[in-house]
Amino acid sequence: MKKIDIVKNRFVFIVPSFVFHFLFYLLPIILMIILAFFSWDLLNTPSFVGLENFKDLIHDKWFWNSIVVTLEYTFLTLPIVFVTSLILGLLLQEENRFSKVMRVFFYWPYMIPMVAGGTMWKWLLSRDFGLINHILVQLGFNPVSWLENPTSALFSVVIVQAWILSGFMMMLYIVGLQALPQEFYEAASIDGASNFQKFWFITMPLLRNTHISVITLTIANCFKNFTVVYIMTTGGPGYATTVAPLYIYQKAFTDFRIGYASAGSIVILLISVVIAYVVRKVQERDLEEGKI
Amino acid sequence: MRKVIVIILAILFMIPVFWTVSSSLKSMNEIYRYPPTIFPQEISLEGYKNVINESQFPRYVANTLFVAIVSTVITVFISVSLGYGLAKGTFKYKNFFLEMVTITLFITAQVIMVPLFVVIQRLGLIDSLWGLIIPAVFTPTASFTAYQYMKDLPNEFLESAQVDGANEWQIFLKIVLPMSRPLMAAISIFSFTWRWNDFVLPLIVINSGDKFTVQLALSALQGQYGIPWNEILAFSVLAIIPTLIIFLLFQNLFMKGLSAGGLKY
Repeated sequence: MKKIDIVKNRFVFIVPSFVFHFLFYLLPIILMIILAFFSWDLLNTPSFVGLENFKDLIHDKWFWNSIVVTLEYTFLTLPIVFVTSLILGLLLQEENRFSKVMRVFFYWPYMIPMVAGGTMWKWLLSRDFGLINHILVQLGFNPVSWLENPTSALFSVVIVQAWILSGFMMMLYIVGLQALPQEFYEAASIDGASNFQKFWFITMPLLRNTHISVITLTIANCFKNFTVVYIMTTGGPGYATTVAPLYIYQKAFTDFRIGYASAGSIVILLISVVIAYVVRKVQERDLEEGKI
Repeated sequence: MRKVIVIILAILFMIPVFWTVSSSLKSMNEIYRYPPTIFPQEISLEGYKNVINESQFPRYVANTLFVAIVSTVITVFISVSLGYGLAKGTFKYKNFFLEMVTITLFITAQVIMVPLFVVIQRLGLIDSLWGLIIPAVFTPTASFTAYQYMKDLPNEFLESAQVDGANEWQIFLKIVLPMSRPLMAAISIFSFTWRWNDFVLPLIVINSGDKFTVQLALSALQGQYGIPWNEILAFSVLAIIPTLIIFLLFQNLFMKGLSAGGLKY
């Protein structure tokens, strides 16, 4: 009997997607690299300036400040999200009615549009009319100008970012915890391990994969964040919460320095690529060592 | 004990929502009272009425719905088509194209915002709702999900259709699409939510007030002088309702994530 030839080209089916992919992903990246060598205000003809933009960038203290703020923002959010989502995952891992209902409350902040979420927090943290200060005053403390002081402003946007991400990461832990093999726990019980020992020596190492996913996704989400800060502080006070994407946005659309902003975008893209690469290497190493 | 901790944590998580809803129901007089009242002393719909009557709120909703629906339809179609082509096709450089989709998972609008603006401008789509639709229809997440789903689609159905003499288009329309209903439903739900909640693209593309989306209008409202907070908060509540309804209806789908594992044809 003749084997039916199911080998079909079917290239035509991927064409529509790749037209859009080319126009709005590839082309912008090519354009970004070209524009970085030009000076352009969007109105006049771009003029070639060689490496001028990059030289300026190196001496631009506020650009490097924005990179530092992004890193602070990311690495302050990370431990909060990690601990919160792990605790929530442990508390809500069982498949019962109570867990299912409660998970919705923790996950919901992830579904709230960030513009609305940021607005809500701004009002909650308002100096005179916010609930947080109202409670502090009732308890005998002085009200805090949360978003007007550099340290508390950064702390505030970090809390909001953690509020957004924790419930999402909780779901990763729930999936991870439900997949754990039970034999280890039985053996440990026979050996008389305490609950804490079981958690620390069995659960934590076995969740290694989930930890990596949670850490990667949290870093990626924090690194690109822009909306929460834009809505809550517009980068202020001063440059205290100006994260890198916001700084680039201001250079491009407030100062109209398109070439300069493109050069800055390249630096940010390179840093994201390095982070993505490191994480991928860690995962690959785990694969080789058979930890996955 | 465990339940008590969970309930306390849930209350903490819901404080911003509680405070927003409570404040949005206060009159302008009450919202600026010091010290603040925890619950509105008298429920007032002033904020909601002013938002709906005085701002162009219905217009913003119409704009956002237009953008979200049109881009979702296109996203569903091109993603399913892409997934089918990549999973069931055998053309040259297939792995290269697959790799390209994977790479875009790491590139976000925030990072390529500036050159993306230039491309949209050259295409003449600045300050047009189409400028929010066309650049957003290709999404790596939807494409990847579609690819995963199509890989699991049994070949026998396609083969037997070929034996019966069906051509490629007939196979796609009469077999692949009907078998992809759960996939299309999932992509639609996610895509609609993404587009409704989107902010970065509207921020760089739209200038005129009559083309604002809901999220952009909410952001712009806070830049205007003299807009009372009960209106801003009423607007916020209205801005989160559509995706809240979708979330509650499809919570299992959202919480499991858009992975093909949970989808069955």
